[in-house]
Amino acid sequence: MSDRNPPTETVAREWQPPAPTVARMPVVPLHRRIPSSHTMATHVRATILFLVLSILLSGFAYPAVSVAVAQVIEPWSANGSLLHYPNGTVAGSALIAQNTSAPWLFWSRPSLTDYNTTLGFDTPPGPTDPALGQLLNETLNYTRLYGNFTVNASIPFWLVSPSASDVDPDLTPEAVLVQIPRVANATNLSIPFLQNFVNEHIVNPVVPYVGVPYVDVLQLDLALLPLEGR
Amino acid sequence: MGIAVQSFWDVIVLLALAIAVAPWFGSYLGRVYMDRPLPGDVVLTPIESAIYRLLGTSPRRQMSAREYMVALLLVNGGMLFFLWWFFFQQASLPFNPTGVPNMTWDLAFHSAASFTTNTDYTHFTNESQISFGSLDIAWQLALFLSAATGLCVMAAMIRGFVRKDGTLGNYYVDMVRTISRVLLPVAFVSGIILVVMGVPETWTASVIAHPITGGTQTIYLGPVASWQSISWLGTNGGGWYSANAAMPLANPTAFSNLFSIFLFLLIAFSAPFAFGQIIRNRGEAWPLMGTVLIVFVVAYGLFVAFQAMNNPALASVHGLGPQINGYPVGQETRWSLPEASLGQVASVYANVGANNMDIGALSPVAQMVLLFGMFTQSTPGGEGTGFGTLLLFTVLAIFVGGLMVGRTPEYLGNKIETGHVKWAALALLIHPATILIPFLVSIAGGFVQVDGSTLPATAHNFTAVLYEFTSESANNGSALSTGAFNDTTPFFNVAGALVMLVGRFVPIWAMLKVGDLFSRQEVLPPSAGTLKTASGTFTIYLTLFLIITSALLFLPVLAMGPLAQIVGGM
Repeated sequence: MSDRNPPTETVAREWQPPAPTVARMPVVPLHRRIPSSHTMATHVRATILFLVLSILLSGFAYPAVSVAVAQVIEPWSANGSLLHYPNGTVAGSALIAQNTSAPWLFWSRPSLTDYNTTLGFDTPPGPTDPALGQLLNETLNYTRLYGNFTVNASIPFWLVSPSASDVDPDLTPEAVLVQIPRVANATNLSIPFLQNFVNEHIVNPVVPYVGVPYVDVLQLDLALLPLEGR
Repeated sequence: MGIAVQSFWDVIVLLALAIAVAPWFGSYLGRVYMDRPLPGDVVLTPIESAIYRLLGTSPRRQMSAREYMVALLLVNGGMLFFLWWFFFQQASLPFNPTGVPNMTWDLAFHSAASFTTNTDYTHFTNESQISFGSLDIAWQLALFLSAATGLCVMAAMIRGFVRKDGTLGNYYVDMVRTISRVLLPVAFVSGIILVVMGVPETWTASVIAHPITGGTQTIYLGPVASWQSISWLGTNGGGWYSANAAMPLANPTAFSNLFSIFLFLLIAFSAPFAFGQIIRNRGEAWPLMGTVLIVFVVAYGLFVAFQAMNNPALASVHGLGPQINGYPVGQETRWSLPEASLGQVASVYANVGANNMDIGALSPVAQMVLLFGMFTQSTPGGEGTGFGTLLLFTVLAIFVGGLMVGRTPEYLGNKIETGHVKWAALALLIHPATILIPFLVSIAGGFVQVDGSTLPATAHNFTAVLYEFTSESANNGSALSTGAFNDTTPFFNVAGALVMLVGRFVPIWAMLKVGDLFSRQEVLPPSAGTLKTASGTFTIYLTLFLIITSALLFLPVLAMGPLAQIVGGM
């Protein structure tokens, strides 16, 4: 390298440059610093003690304090946003979808795990995989057959597409509104009444364009049950 | 298309906020590693001193790179063994209320290596295969310690630039201070914020619900908010639930999604400014930050643009409504496409790996954008090690650039010599090696099984195998697909675990070694021949160097997987 640019180096040496821009401040002041002289035994002992302390902190103290604070300030969501029937039985969580594909209920998005939370989630076919078209065609046919849709009706994409978590409890408003004729047909509730009912349950973004308008289908269905006299 | 331009306002504000907070938090982070007075000293210093005494060490005792690495390997090795033992025995250990069985030895090895290396790639379904105790005690230990280890390595490497006595710091002291001053306070406050946003935080492990249509449904709970906040802040990316950040219980609203992005980026964006603080030259932080931002924003733009397009493969599906708010397959309803995309890009680019969309369902271009982020590993990259990788790229870039323009290759008054280049190149080359070699072995050796047949049938499966090893080598932890091939075989467990361990600890040693070499060098005063690094020209040069180097290393495999998917439509 030196034979490539000897002039520069020579200039640099003769030039006597100003003080370096990088201050040479030691992280621990030099007079306080001594070379570490830990033996291997010290290291092993320090490691074991450090791990034990960390387990006590991360596994016990930290979650314990967090749980104590959370249970005081926001008990409903801290306990899983549970929804109850009038008799007190747990119906589900507002944040977990259920299989609601009865004609007299609003349906959730399809789930590749059939809403079984123990199975976690499953990945839908890849974007260019022919299986994706088959899956969507099957779901569409099922929805047409049991969902009171005419053969040529356009069915909202969100109503027939699997979600990322497979327990997405929410649906876009249009995907809920489009189900109203079926629900009205299966119950004694009128279409205008149901439209009004669904519109009341649309969750709009608190701040415009932060999130999208959606309907929590499980909450909607639980509110619907007493109206249907079930 | 169907994306309103207005719906980008919140992600732009969020990014601006993350960038605005970075210099402030970065200088705090720098001061943590400089032993300077900090707020909270009154309470924390006596506790920390007591811990140092208990451990038998003292902040005065400064370690060489070798001793730092020994301590690091002991703590991480001890953690690896503890995790392996816990997962292997979890059925008989306490805190297993849902009756989860033991993991097999190889699955336990893969999981322990995955969590120890800050990867958090899982080969199991959380709800049925990992116990409450394993999540809370074993995995949560790794959430804290692996994140802290990354930051300690970064701090030690940076100290090498300014110290001239051959020491890099005290590993135990750095770990204690990282946890007490950074991870614990921020994670605690963030956990409480997540609870307010709707995330569970309870000691109840599960609740049985009775759905309207009959049967039962198990609702898994736990101290999710506090667990998830350290997982995101520490760029671990593990999920209490297997659906991770897409799970409504872990990420219930658009606001929680934005908040999670803020946590992903907080330490990652602050790292360059911590560097500027420790070397006492804040101007040097901006070229590095600029490089990160350019790559990150371009990646985000590409990702959103291709996710917003209609999928041509769905032409055969008749009667499907228009695509509103993006492509719905594998997406969640409650946030807009710009928000979901920023979450996914930030998660992979900051090496968090928490999916809030289903990566397997993304458009091939979007998948390639994510793969590229894991190839660079440094834009901004994982906790500490991402910035360390960026410094290694910088060292190489200055060396190459110095040769090109005939300047002395030096950085911050430290001459870059063959030793530095050798270690930097090793760290950067170990990454493609740990991706491509196991990838070839698994394809050629017939280890990839798809529904019984042994070869990947489509470009999608091919991409899935490539993505698995890339994610593991980059210590990222995002997974492309759970169904594209069977990844729970002993081969993929052991190979994956080894890839993660090599991909973690070899670059860490190279980073410490580069810091060590700098700390034993004479200071070069700046001269007329010095390449100015705090400049816009250097920022652009570094960006191009980073992109071109990464692209050259990986173009062949990209061509076989994602590009084939784009062109061939398979």
